[in-house]
Amino acid sequence: MSDVEMAAAAETDWVRVTSDDGYTFLVRRKVANASETMRDMLDTAGNYAEAIARTCPVQQRGVIVEKLLEYMSFKAHYAEAGPRDEIPVQELMERIPPEIVLELLLAADYQNM
Amino acid sequence: MASAARRGRPKIKPPRRHGPDVSIEKTWADLANNIREIQNHNAPNLSFEENHRFAYNMVLHKQGEMLYKGVNQLVAENIDHLANTQVVPVFPSGASDETMQSQEAEMLLKALRIIWDDHISNMVRLGQILKYMDRVYAKSADVPEIWDVGLNLFLKHIIRPPIKDHLVTAILNQIHFERDGYVVNRSAIKGCVDVFLTLEDANGLTVYKRDLEPALLRESQTFYESEGLKLLRTCDAPEFLRLVESRFESEDSRTHHYLSRNTAAALRQILQDNLLTPHISTVISMETSGLDAMIDLNKTNDMARLYRLFVMVPAGLPCLKRALKDSVRRRGEGINQVSLGLEGGDGEATTSKSRPAASGAQTLALALKWVQDVLDLKDLFDKIWKDAFSCDRELESNLNEAFESFINLNDRSSEFISLFIDDNLKRGLRGKTDTEVDAVLDKTITVFRYITEKDVFERYYKGHLAKRLLLGRSVSDDAERGMLAKLKVECGYQFTQKLEGMFHDMKISEDTMKAYKTHLSQTVAPGIDLSVIVMTSTFWPIAHPTSPCTLPLEMIKTSKSFEQFYLSRHSGRRLTWQPSLGSADVRVSFKSKRHDLNVATFALVILLLFEDSGPDDFMTYEEIKQATSIVDNELQRHLQSLACAKFKILKKHPPGRDVDPTDSFSFNADFSSSLQRIKISTVSSKVESGEERKETKDRIDEERRHQTEACIVRIMKDRKHMTHNDLVNEVTRQLATRFLPNPLNIKKRIEGLIEREYLERCDDRKSYNYMA
Repeated sequence: MSDVEMAAAAETDWVRVTSDDGYTFLVRRKVANASETMRDMLDTAGNYAEAIARTCPVQQRGVIVEKLLEYMSFKAHYAEAGPRDEIPVQELMERIPPEIVLELLLAADYQNM
Repeated sequence: MASAARRGRPKIKPPRRHGPDVSIEKTWADLANNIREIQNHNAPNLSFEENHRFAYNMVLHKQGEMLYKGVNQLVAENIDHLANTQVVPVFPSGASDETMQSQEAEMLLKALRIIWDDHISNMVRLGQILKYMDRVYAKSADVPEIWDVGLNLFLKHIIRPPIKDHLVTAILNQIHFERDGYVVNRSAIKGCVDVFLTLEDANGLTVYKRDLEPALLRESQTFYESEGLKLLRTCDAPEFLRLVESRFESEDSRTHHYLSRNTAAALRQILQDNLLTPHISTVISMETSGLDAMIDLNKTNDMARLYRLFVMVPAGLPCLKRALKDSVRRRGEGINQVSLGLEGGDGEATTSKSRPAASGAQTLALALKWVQDVLDLKDLFDKIWKDAFSCDRELESNLNEAFESFINLNDRSSEFISLFIDDNLKRGLRGKTDTEVDAVLDKTITVFRYITEKDVFERYYKGHLAKRLLLGRSVSDDAERGMLAKLKVECGYQFTQKLEGMFHDMKISEDTMKAYKTHLSQTVAPGIDLSVIVMTSTFWPIAHPTSPCTLPLEMIKTSKSFEQFYLSRHSGRRLTWQPSLGSADVRVSFKSKRHDLNVATFALVILLLFEDSGPDDFMTYEEIKQATSIVDNELQRHLQSLACAKFKILKKHPPGRDVDPTDSFSFNADFSSSLQRIKISTVSSKVESGEERKETKDRIDEERRHQTEACIVRIMKDRKHMTHNDLVNEVTRQLATRFLPNPLNIKKRIEGLIEREYLERCDDRKSYNYMA
């Protein structure tokens, strides 16, 4: 594959994100790249076991992973938004249950996003 | 949090601890192990998540320093290991064979690139799993991130003696090898150079700049010093230039392909200083292959290359200019020399008068040849200038200077150019199109431009033009006027005023003749048809007084008839006849048949002496002279054209080419020719003889005196008061379009004007006042 094709594939192919309680999520690689840790994990240059399997184990509960991915999708979606586009940050924040915020915070720090 | 407040009292669970609680030592041991595995290219078997978490945990448990140092050490160990296994074994063996050396150098460079690539990919992987450490520990502890650590360690452990020295030597060896014309593995060199370019020492200086470039430049300097001498010894000029240019190109491609762009300028400078500048003057003046030879052989490419190279160095253009000037001057002097050959022949002709006709034709041919040669030379250099020197302005003015200097070295250039134009307008232009005519004249004008003594040219041109007009020799009126227009453009209205006056006279005369014809038809016409051109004496370069001639009665009657007519129309004018300039048509009966002859007026007068003579009647030279009272040289000329030229109307006794005062003549009744109309052209000495030239010179000097005085008075009238130097400068400037005045002459003219009280000398003895 040429570099261009690689880049295109990297944007559109699917990767697997697993939680430690057995949930599995399929997301676009573009979404996974919103987390720097996940991006490094899946980086074909580093080529660790995860990159080969295209699977990112996240040592969190499913609910946390789900919320992380929701935010990552949100981030990936609005990453290219212009300065005049409205980004509904408030709505996203309101969708975070207060019970998990601390856990979420730690997870986000680990995921470096 | 706003949302939290709205929902009352939400229960926030504390986050779980990450990972199993194992000791830090165990974590490090595992991580260290994994790092070694990564360095052994086993990353695909390792979990990123696991190792990332190890590092994360250690940083989280305040063990960042231990992690950082441990990784440092592992990386350093690995680099040393790589060096020992990959680089040290390929250290040069010290073989003396050049090919061996080159191969070893290539191996070494390749090895370095291999361990560099290995190290870099390791550092990428480590950087990924240690990102949390970079982010949290490195920042707070103020230590460089792991990527930079990797670069620094490589710098410290690899780019050090002896490895570094071997590397630099290897690169230099490869470059030298390539300069010697062998093929080297450029990508191997580039690989290593790139590493050098990437690595920076503590001062931000790249290794390339610090270690490689100075050595490279030193090496290049010595190489090209000896290369320059070697080329000079073994090559001729075109070869030298070709090789030098290819050196420039190859060095340029070298910097482009595997060295730094920044080195290009320095290398170029070395090439210029060592290969080019010291040798340019030697190369350009190489006996059999230098600039002169290139010009001779018309090697445009070589000259273009020479120009390209020479403009690069500051000393180049002056050197090229000098050489060009010398070349032009040498060639020009050669041309002058050829025309000087004529000078000798001419002198002989004037002293002995043995063969003036042949000498005249010869000198004319030489004069034409001189102009043609100058034009050819000009064409040649124009072409070179355009094709090889990319129309360089400086060189153009330099060439012009050179042409000017040699053309003015020939003090007869003005006469020659005027003769050339005369010749072209008289016969050369027949059968050529208008554009071709224009091209020839344009070219002549470019040469004319170089003449400093334009007034001399004007005098000659006037003389030649007068002859063309009077004898009807001019081929095309348009061409004449075209030439006049060109001269006007070059030198201004004043220059051509009198020439235009001559054209005007021709036209007026035509009208006058029409009126005269009408007048004749109403009165009794004399026996001879007469056509008169009335010339204003100031416009035409006609000598006064006219050469005398006793006209036969018939002709006197005819001319009187016109005189009366003319003076009745313009009272107060004076008409002077110039029979020496006229021509006549006469019908002569020979034994076989009658022919119409067109002869000069003088010749007609001579012929009429024989009108009633029988075949055995002789007239001696002295008798003819007495009867016609034509002066000696004119008489000889016309007798010669009647008796010794192509058509022998008279018989000379004894026969021969030249006319002597002891000869006698008789009418050649046996003359026959297939032509009905015959034109007896006068044998004319078209190039001036020594005496005539002296006369012309005197007249020009006199004219210059008048012009100088007029100019002085004009200036002083305007300024009223001027210092001597200013006046001389101004006069020189104003007269420069016509000739180059000599300051001494100007001074003499000023004194003359003071005597005649146009000017007065002021009390300070340095300036003058104008006296109204």
